[in-house]
Amino acid sequence: MSKYMIDKFMRAVEMSDADVARYVADPAAFVDAWLAGAGGPHRPTDDRSLTEAERAAFATIDHEALYALGAHPYLLWHFIEAAHTHEFGDGFGWRDLVERYRADVAPHGHVDYIP
Amino acid sequence: MAKLVLAAATPHNPLLWRAMRDPMPDDLAGVAGNFARIRDAIRDLGVDVLVVVGTDHIRQFFFDHAPAFVVGKAAHYHGTYENEVRTFGMEYVELTGHPDLAERIAGRELLPEAIDFAVSHEWRLDHGFVIPLQYLRPELDLPIVPIHTNATLPPLPSPRRFAVLGEHLRETIAGWESDARVALITSGHMATDVGGPRQFAGSPDPAFDAEAVAWMRDGDLEGAIAGCRFDRVMAAGNVTYQYVNVITALAAMGGRPADLAEATESRFASSPFFMWRDPA
Repeated sequence: MSKYMIDKFMRAVEMSDADVARYVADPAAFVDAWLAGAGGPHRPTDDRSLTEAERAAFATIDHEALYALGAHPYLLWHFIEAAHTHEFGDGFGWRDLVERYRADVAPHGHVDYIP
Repeated sequence: MAKLVLAAATPHNPLLWRAMRDPMPDDLAGVAGNFARIRDAIRDLGVDVLVVVGTDHIRQFFFDHAPAFVVGKAAHYHGTYENEVRTFGMEYVELTGHPDLAERIAGRELLPEAIDFAVSHEWRLDHGFVIPLQYLRPELDLPIVPIHTNATLPPLPSPRRFAVLGEHLRETIAGWESDARVALITSGHMATDVGGPRQFAGSPDPAFDAEAVAWMRDGDLEGAIAGCRFDRVMAAGNVTYQYVNVITALAAMGGRPADLAEATESRFASSPFFMWRDPA
């Protein structure tokens, strides 16, 4: 169930320009606000929960930790790409992010990402 | 009766959308040329309807609802999402559906014997559908029947079921009392890793790519089905399973050798281009 919530959070953020901007501005506050928006009895299909390790990984945009925790790789890459695009400039660009990401996840090999 | 006049398979790499522009970079000329060959064939054959078999990238169909095969029955479709506009520079598009053919494919009351479909009346198509259409029919004026195949979220349909889908499409089109000329487009890629340790470093498995071309070049349907077992395909890259969509095209054309079968090299991982023209 936990991997499902990791994927659910990433998809929710990455699909919206506005939510990407809010997340990047204050990741920890965004994560807590997202968790607080859980469904409850009147919204039975919008449960939201993260373990403390998952919450911490999102609060610090830690792609290595998220990969190791079983985030779906396709969703994770696009989530991380969205979260770092604002940093692209003369000294750091898309290819640099690709290289950094790849180096960070490689030691973990192929993780089990099936929820 | 309607006629299946062409089947083809193309890549849907959205990174092409920014890179493949005039003046055409040398390394992308082959990719642009193969898109043009299939685009010209669709025009020359007088195609009226496109059936597009592709895989949604966990956008419309997420882990909360992940059906194996979905037939789009809508009259109209919106194309691409906010995140794809942002990340890939894509453009929103509007597409026309073909509910009549979609209903024949999906079945109106009972599912076909050998395959189970879900249907969708409200579907925003992602780059897996939009990119091929924009290169193969830039006018976006032909009605489409989109068919989603779950090639992303295990448990996945087996490769043989993709062949059954192709056979079902061929039979359905042949039995459709219409003078429509139909083309089947499948959308996928060769060995590809996204978000894993081998992403964006060329093909993660050139040996798989070579085999994947040979099955289509030789018309080896059973070889393709056997060679696309889950563990082998996933070892070639974590999203390689979308290659299996090509099996649908091969089966729809009776398992005969493709007229065009190529893994086209470029700065990106190898791009699949397959085409079968009706011999008549």
